[in-house]
Amino acid sequence: MNETAVPGAAGGTPVLRARGLRKHYGKDAALVRAVDGVDLDVDAGETVAVTGPSGCGKSTLLHLLGGLDRSSAGEIWLAGRRVDQLGERALARLRREAVGFVFQAFHLMDELTAVENVELPGLLAGQSPRAARRRAAGLLERVGLADRAGFLPAALSGGQRQRVAIARALVADPLVVLADEPTGNLDSEATLDVLRLFDSLHAAGQTLIIVTHDSRIAATADRLISMRDGDFVDQTRLTGGTTGSLGTLAGLEG
Amino acid sequence: MGKLMLIGRLAARDIRRHRARAALLLLAITAATSVLTLGLALRGVTSHPYQQTRAATNGPDVVAYLPVLHQPGHRPEVSPEAAALTRAAGVTGHAGPFPDVWAVLRFHGLTAGAEVQGRAEAPGPVDQPELTAGSWVRPGGVVIERSFAEALGVGVGDRVTLNGRTFTVAGIAVTAARPPYPNLCYVNAGGCMGDFPSGTQIPARDIGLTWATGPDAAGLVTPADPLAAYVVELRLRDPAQAQAFVTAHSESQDNAGPSNLAAWPGIAAADGLLVQDEQDVLSPGALLAALLAVASVAVLAGGRMAEHSQRTGLLKAAGGGPGLVAAVLLAENLILALAAAAAGLLAGWLAAPLITSPGAALVGTPGAPSLTVATAGEVTAVALVVALVATLVPAVRAARISTVRALADVARPPRRRPGLIAVSRRLPVPLLLGLRLAARRLRRAALSTASFAVTTTGLVAVLSFHVAAGQYQAASAGGLPDPAVTRDGQILLVITVVLIALTVLNAVCAAWTTALDARAASALARALGATPRQVSAGIAAAQVMPAVPGALLGVPLGIELFAAASHIGRLVVPPTWWLAAAVLGVLAAAAALASIPAWAGARRPPADILQAEAV
Amino acid sequence: MQQEVVLAMLAKEPSHGYELRARLQQALGPAGDAMNAGQIYVTLGRLEKAGLVTCEQAAGLADRPDRKVYALTADGQQRVTEWVTDVSWPGPGLAEFHLKLIAAAAARLADPLAIIDAQRRELLRSLRDTQRAAMAEPDGSDAALLLEGIVLRLQADLRWLEACERKWTGRKDRS
Repeated sequence: MNETAVPGAAGGTPVLRARGLRKHYGKDAALVRAVDGVDLDVDAGETVAVTGPSGCGKSTLLHLLGGLDRSSAGEIWLAGRRVDQLGERALARLRREAVGFVFQAFHLMDELTAVENVELPGLLAGQSPRAARRRAAGLLERVGLADRAGFLPAALSGGQRQRVAIARALVADPLVVLADEPTGNLDSEATLDVLRLFDSLHAAGQTLIIVTHDSRIAATADRLISMRDGDFVDQTRLTGGTTGSLGTLAGLEG
Repeated sequence: MGKLMLIGRLAARDIRRHRARAALLLLAITAATSVLTLGLALRGVTSHPYQQTRAATNGPDVVAYLPVLHQPGHRPEVSPEAAALTRAAGVTGHAGPFPDVWAVLRFHGLTAGAEVQGRAEAPGPVDQPELTAGSWVRPGGVVIERSFAEALGVGVGDRVTLNGRTFTVAGIAVTAARPPYPNLCYVNAGGCMGDFPSGTQIPARDIGLTWATGPDAAGLVTPADPLAAYVVELRLRDPAQAQAFVTAHSESQDNAGPSNLAAWPGIAAADGLLVQDEQDVLSPGALLAALLAVASVAVLAGGRMAEHSQRTGLLKAAGGGPGLVAAVLLAENLILALAAAAAGLLAGWLAAPLITSPGAALVGTPGAPSLTVATAGEVTAVALVVALVATLVPAVRAARISTVRALADVARPPRRRPGLIAVSRRLPVPLLLGLRLAARRLRRAALSTASFAVTTTGLVAVLSFHVAAGQYQAASAGGLPDPAVTRDGQILLVITVVLIALTVLNAVCAAWTTALDARAASALARALGATPRQVSAGIAAAQVMPAVPGALLGVPLGIELFAAASHIGRLVVPPTWWLAAAVLGVLAAAAALASIPAWAGARRPPADILQAEAV
Repeated sequence: MQQEVVLAMLAKEPSHGYELRARLQQALGPAGDAMNAGQIYVTLGRLEKAGLVTCEQAAGLADRPDRKVYALTADGQQRVTEWVTDVSWPGPGLAEFHLKLIAAAAARLADPLAIIDAQRRELLRSLRDTQRAAMAEPDGSDAALLLEGIVLRLQADLRWLEACERKWTGRKDRS
């Protein structure tokens, strides 16, 4: 396995690096290029938002980065280690230790309480039940749901469920958290809660890659990438202030 | 009327759309009905051939043993009181008295007991045994009863020794006067009296009937072992009164009167003991097969509840009510059950002659036992009941679900089992996954346990049979094979094969259904870091874990079943390592059968599955 | 009628009053139905007074506003250029931005996609600031409600900008 580290733009090793990433389905006339030659560098502590119309391949890209799917071509490095050629067992370890995933549909187990859902990755990783439970309880507190630890998902609101899912993604203290349309199924208040959570994660130095339709999330990212037809078309850093003020936006004459 | 047609059409269309499932259901119920048909077919067999033999041999209505008067210096003769029997009221004819001698028969290293009757060379008016090979008795030539001859392996022309004297086998014959080997001594109120020379002990089941000339028979007697009895065979004016005649004349208690009278119905019954044995094996076998069929059908009908919900939702959306929905579901399975009943009846009818050639001794083969309307009715009823019982729960549930929920839901959401979840936390990952998966569908797990219990019960009962048969053979000094045991063994083999086939069917279907249901959950587990191997092992474990208590339960149940069916007075317990091998074999088979669909399900990348389904 | 819009309409070339009106009506479609001729001419008059536009009478025609030929002055030109690159928001309505794009394309003042992109970035920055302010508010404060309103409007506007981008990309591809 090629272990050479590739230096990033900031001089340090980027947490995640992708070169020439492709994912194709079908062939000949039915060939679909879901992801078509994507290059990406993500530094530690960065929040990157990927936006684009539906069908542009952003979810597929995220699945490739998280090891949930295999690329047709291209290379991915995670903390300097090449990960696109890993076998299933190593990929599973990767998902256990280095990558946390948050889904649009939450994907919590309906018959497990919040804390049982959060401790699951720990149990799968072979931690002792007590240690896994302790960590899960701590993470639930971190996301502000300590009083809901014993609730079933059916008894939680959409926003609370997503926060439980985020807590679950943080169990292994991952290198990067990948979120696929995390607010897709949430109303605006729940979205705000999730936004707050992402913000606090960012402040704590967590690297986040978020695929989203939601411009609110895109706006608070460090870097905003637009994707179309399987490739990036634009990368923006939203630096600087605005010409108007909140007052003008609110309709007060400035 | 229109509604019935609608139901029928919908049911038929549904069956066409899910051919594999329909075929499996059909297979399961057919297996059960075939075994059942076989069992029922045997019931009509026994009396028939005996009647044929009786007619062909002028069989007697009463057979009596008359004690012998030994007067020093005189030939042994029948006591006058006993002799008066031939002139009793209602007697229209008789044969004998024939001398009846017990001899030790040896042939090619086998030792058996022979009840030798001395007969005239010319045929008599009552009880003339029918020759199936060779010729009748002559000086130096004996005739051996057919099933006895088969067990010994003698043919015409072979030489046997009786009490040390050599004779040639002149012929082989059948008779209606005594039950055939090995049931010779099992006539009720009859039995064998007499000792073998020199006090040799020969078990009752090793004794067969032999005929010789009068002088030859008399010659077998020694001063140390004098003649024990004469046999007289009576014809009555009214054969139906035979039992009453026997009762009337047995009441005299004194030694000089006739003893050991047997009426022809009793002989017929003993005659049928072989077939009775077979029935004793077939009935529990059929029951076990039916239970497994119920389990299979329940799994198949209840599996993929999602499909059902969707189907019923659409039905309802199209305007049918809960009644229609339930009716269509039931109709589907009842149609299949009817087809299975027909197939099972056919299969059983074709296979019956192999089983029911009713012991070698009875003349003629009755051919295929006629399929009475009663049999057909019973088998059909059982098939319908099996289908009904197994599909009642899904049908009722389908009928009660509201349309919107049926269309929206993927499946019934799993119930939470806090105890099992807590326990599973401490287990290694595959068992953790397996236990939680099984806990999601506890009813299916219970069905699996029951199914494996039934299978193991069958296997252990068969093992007990073999142990008992072995003990039996060991007790039989002469080394003669017992046709009942041989025949029972053959039938048990057939039943075992059917049970195993049904179990395999059950296990594969359950495993496939579980793997499908678990698809989303296992995709999530893999997304959270479980390896495909752990997930496959988990799905397989979800199948094997319910099998363990089932297999263990089957051991005592199998022993009990054999004890109940076999009329042996005690429990026959197979050796521990046989039982361990049976249990472990069943569990290994369960694991193997479960792992194929489990492995197949764990291969795909989790992304696809998670996109499509909610967990 | 916004003054800058009218100015932009003249950026390509001088035109008659009626030509201007026609172009505006075509660009606005049903949204321009409520617009009456007078509004344009009043604006033109103001622009003339402010020295951003010159007005010529075509020789031999009656003294009617629709027959006059209007053209930009140098000041007017500069004003237009500033206006095209201005990203302040919200404007008085969507029509202004819409016409900005059309005018920019027609007069080759700037690439419409670049205008859209710049405005999008500005809106995102505004969204970012609003969002940060919203997160800093305590739960249930009245201000939070106002901020949510701003957020929702900005989101809606951003979605429209995406639609503009799609449309103008298609137009560019075809031309």
